Amino acid sequence: MDAEAFEDALDLSRDKSQNQGVYIYQPPKPGKASGERPSKRRKVSSTANPEHDTKVPSFMPLLNGAESADCVQQRYDTYKQLWAEQEHKIQEILEDVDSGVLSDVLSFVRETSPQTCNGCIPTALITVGSNVSSLSRLLSRLNDQLMSTNEGGVIVLESGDAPNLKTSLKNIIRAAVTNTEGNDGFQRFLTDRSGPRMLGYDLDLLYDYVQRRGTKKLVLALRDSEAFDPALLTDLLSLFKSWLDRIPFTVMLGISTSVELFEGRLPRSCVSLLQGKHFEVQEAGNSVDRIFEALQTDPAGKLWVGRNVTSTLFEKARDSFQTPEAFSRMVKYSYMSHFFANPLSTLLGSAHSSILSQNPFSEVIRNLPSFRMLCEDLVESGSTEEVRKMLDEDEYLLQTAIANLEAGQDAMRHLFRAVLLIHKCLRHTQTSKKMSVSDLSVRALSGDLGESPIVEDMLASVKAMDSEQLLEVLEVLQNTLSDDSPLAEIQNDLKSLMEEHPDSRPFHSEYNINNSVVTTTVVHQRVKLTKGKANLRAQDVEYNKIIDRLAGAFIEYFSETLIRPTDLFMNEAFLFDLRNPLKEVFTPRPRFAIERALATPFDYLISSSPDAETRISSRQPPASILYQLYLESGALVNVHDLWQAFYAVFESDQSDKCDDREIMALFYGALSDMKTFGMIKNSRKKTDHLAKSTWIGL
Amino acid sequence: MKRKLSDSGLENDPPAASTPKRQRTTNGARKGHAPIASGDATYELPPSQQGQSTPKKANGVAATPLKESGLKTPTHKSKARNLFATPAKPKAATAGTPARLKKADQSAKKKSARVLLEQNEDTAWDGSQQLAEEILQDEQAEAVASDAPVESVEDAEKNPNAKDKDAKPAKRRAGRPKGARNKRSPTPEGELPPHERYFFQNRAGTIKTSNTTLNKVTLLTHEEYFDKMAQHTDPCKDEKDYLLSLHHRSFPQWAFEFEEGFNICLFGYGSKRKLVQHFADWVYQRSTSKTSPPIVIVNGYTPGVSIRSIFATIATALLGEDVPSKLGAQPTEVLEFLQSVLKSRPADEDPVTVLINSVDAPPLRRAANQALLARLAATPRIRLLLTADTPNFTVMWDISLRDQLNLVFHDCTTFTPFAVESDVVEEVNALLGRKGQRAGGKDGVGFVLKSLPENARNLYRLLLTEVITIMEDGHQSDDEGGADSKPSDEHGVEFRLLYQKATEEFIASSEMMFRTLLKEFHDHQMITSRMDPSGMEILGVPLSRDEMEGVLEDLVLG
Repeated sequence: MDAEAFEDALDLSRDKSQNQGVYIYQPPKPGKASGERPSKRRKVSSTANPEHDTKVPSFMPLLNGAESADCVQQRYDTYKQLWAEQEHKIQEILEDVDSGVLSDVLSFVRETSPQTCNGCIPTALITVGSNVSSLSRLLSRLNDQLMSTNEGGVIVLESGDAPNLKTSLKNIIRAAVTNTEGNDGFQRFLTDRSGPRMLGYDLDLLYDYVQRRGTKKLVLALRDSEAFDPALLTDLLSLFKSWLDRIPFTVMLGISTSVELFEGRLPRSCVSLLQGKHFEVQEAGNSVDRIFEALQTDPAGKLWVGRNVTSTLFEKARDSFQTPEAFSRMVKYSYMSHFFANPLSTLLGSAHSSILSQNPFSEVIRNLPSFRMLCEDLVESGSTEEVRKMLDEDEYLLQTAIANLEAGQDAMRHLFRAVLLIHKCLRHTQTSKKMSVSDLSVRALSGDLGESPIVEDMLASVKAMDSEQLLEVLEVLQNTLSDDSPLAEIQNDLKSLMEEHPDSRPFHSEYNINNSVVTTTVVHQRVKLTKGKANLRAQDVEYNKIIDRLAGAFIEYFSETLIRPTDLFMNEAFLFDLRNPLKEVFTPRPRFAIERALATPFDYLISSSPDAETRISSRQPPASILYQLYLESGALVNVHDLWQAFYAVFESDQSDKCDDREIMALFYGALSDMKTFGMIKNSRKKTDHLAKSTWIGL
Repeated sequence: MKRKLSDSGLENDPPAASTPKRQRTTNGARKGHAPIASGDATYELPPSQQGQSTPKKANGVAATPLKESGLKTPTHKSKARNLFATPAKPKAATAGTPARLKKADQSAKKKSARVLLEQNEDTAWDGSQQLAEEILQDEQAEAVASDAPVESVEDAEKNPNAKDKDAKPAKRRAGRPKGARNKRSPTPEGELPPHERYFFQNRAGTIKTSNTTLNKVTLLTHEEYFDKMAQHTDPCKDEKDYLLSLHHRSFPQWAFEFEEGFNICLFGYGSKRKLVQHFADWVYQRSTSKTSPPIVIVNGYTPGVSIRSIFATIATALLGEDVPSKLGAQPTEVLEFLQSVLKSRPADEDPVTVLINSVDAPPLRRAANQALLARLAATPRIRLLLTADTPNFTVMWDISLRDQLNLVFHDCTTFTPFAVESDVVEEVNALLGRKGQRAGGKDGVGFVLKSLPENARNLYRLLLTEVITIMEDGHQSDDEGGADSKPSDEHGVEFRLLYQKATEEFIASSEMMFRTLLKEFHDHQMITSRMDPSGMEILGVPLSRDEMEGVLEDLVLG
């Protein structure tokens, strides 16, 4: 075959493809494909295990390609396994969050009928607030429930599906039928019928279907009710009303604002057709907090997200009303980034010694900042041999690293257990300001929770508790902590103390200001205030001893557990704390990117030539030149002057060999780009003038 | 500003387009000292001294004025202050005494010294350093030209007159009151934060720009544009290739993101079509399954593209020959069909990769389209890669769409020109108010008219007559110089009026028929229509007056 002819054919076909609206991708061409084939074959043959090829396509060997295939595989498997566990937890939480509303809505759907609603259409008004995704979750689960009991189904209608009455009816009928019968079933349903063929929007069709299936409940859910045209909604509802005796409609309206506002938009006649109940879906923030808590404080956790990531996550969740799903996807992305790009993440899996020995892990570890910190500490404390040994012996280093990795993971688990403990304590002590687990976590991850006023306040208020409250707190805390902690002992002592003096409870703490007495004595005509202890009973004194012990135990415990995670050796392996991929990937700044590209093109175009300065020169892309000129100009720009300035840039650089028409073509290109970006528009104020419409940095 | 000023000499004789350069080269030859950019420079010179280097000019950097024009603008501010007016401080404008100016200069020098000492990242790029350097350099020159301020005030006053001798006097006077240019320099003093800059540039008052127009410049036609672009060699080709190769390195990452259920959006300056094409190649090469992986590529910028056709093509890519002949006319129907097909397929089958170029281009930009795309994106086993070109594309998606789309964003600045994506010449013509300078021009219109029925030709003749009459009336009513440069579609005839005339001449018997005829013209871009402020529809012809007359002549004679 003539390869060249093919080449031409290819280019031609590709050229055409650029003007085609939609097309199915064709591989470059048979001729070229045969040229490329070896590479494809090579890939299959090089990895001995064909299984790898299908399973680990997207993980690249790291460490400049020095990572072995097994290692890559291990990394991938670890990721898959770890995330599957977390995903499972998230799903459980989401289901749990929804279950309350779901059962309410389900019973509403089952119990109401036009008869119970005075002949009106039974309507469930569901306010979702910012938690937009919850409604679709709810609806799909409702649909599953209704389908499983053969009661009926849910038809979801979005505002986009309802441009006019005809189309919306068509869509409703089709959705209802395909929900149970499938696409083919719908076609059959349309064609296999006696009598005249009915039009697609005839509700007779739906009636027919309801009769055939014996449907008892047909739930019509308008996911974004506010976006529907009110007139259309009125028509639709009045139509349903008139069919209500034949088709068992239940309407479900998803409302993002408030019921009152929604009702206000509809005409009275329409509102009077509806009767129903109002349901409220939990705000997204709750589930987000719960998800975070489940992921981070898991006692078997292996990987944690660090302070920066956590604060980014919550910033995004709060500021842009993220759904819980979106939140968990962001967490997922941070897990993905960790395993995709960090060779040390392999160690989180069950590391085989073969993998360890094959790969240059020791080199990697020696380059870690945390290793350097460790070495510095060791040198300072005088154990230089240890450092020497770690630098010289790969085997020893690996063992130390893995031991440290596990110890570090333990420390992280303890850290979060302490966070949970503080959180629970706070719930008992504090009434006004609620600190969520996430807030505490951010502080804990940055390592300053131990010294923070939150903990101090908490300790103070624990100290001031009387015995009843304290016992309560201790019971709660007991569940959080392991049995061998001093808390159990303290609790037992407290219990025995209380049993000894059953009649004098509750005991009072001396730290409670209500129990200290201010005595006023006049000595030598001077008022002397003495803040004395109220005379404490013997059992109170005993109790105070217990309290002191508890406080001591707390302080000790916190100083032990609330460490700074980034101080741990090998924290790079089990702590993901890079702000950047997450922020860039989920909150893009496209305008900034474009402005930067245009204003300082050599940020992107890494120039080999030395004259890549900030000055405008003809070496820069034309659009950049024009943009920089544009930045200097005022709100109104004379095109002719702009063109002259643009031309002068080229003229001064290439003096003799510049073709002004060619430069004009470049000018055209640049101008058209700026127009596409919406930076300039034609001004009517003056002939041949452009109006500036964006200001850099605004 | 100075660039605009430099045009004062250019507008009347095209060869003078190189004036600034000539001036510069002579200066450069003389002393290697740069003049201040031509425009301002000439103004500052007393007429007698023109062509010689003034003491003031003896400082500065040995560089070409226009090349560094951008960053040197502030210099002129400092000089303008020397002259007589500080735009930002009104009191300086009234009292331009040397003493006060000296004080101002001293303060500027102090400030500059500080800037040079305390450089930080923020100011590094914005040229304040350069300004500072220049102010300090002025210092030496100041000693020589210590009497300059007073003199130059006079100079500036004399200067317009001197200039007027060779420029059109009337225009110059009308264009700019003397001295005003110093007050209205668009580049504010020093570096303002963006919002201040915005208010500075948008403050009330007339905006001073030169009165030059593009009348003397022949605009590019499509052919010439493409010819010239073909000749052009890109100086940054290597850098751009390298940038592209960097993006290629993230293909595995994108594949991983796809695998984990994310969809991808690429943004940044430059056409990403080629990158997407390469990605498609890469995905295809990488696939290990027996059958080729279904990949659908969409060019969002093509005017004809519809959401339904995208869905239908995806269905074809999945099913091949088995696509039912009737898919349904509504995009939702096709989408639902697609979803049910995907559901019924075995789970281990290759997912469909859909690559959409320029998702923010006008054909796909509409909210309804984006909602449908979001639903496509939310479908399992559909992998969607979008590219977006405009800076504000994210406003297309509200929170629920964003949730459905499930996007991860990557900055893929390529610097590749939007060669296919935008019709450059058309865009620029529209921008310059020369919209609808129809591609075919007069000949094209004539050609179309030949193939139209008799009464359509008559209607067009009527339209032309009316428009030309109105143009003539307009000329008489205001003999403003710039009137002829007004785009021709400014002049138009009111819809009702034309219809009335058409019925009178038995061209169209009903409004229906009249509209049918107009539709034909619209299809061939022979007519423009706009709403005037009172809500009346105004019909115009997208041709220049000469062309209109030519067509009319042909119509009447033929």
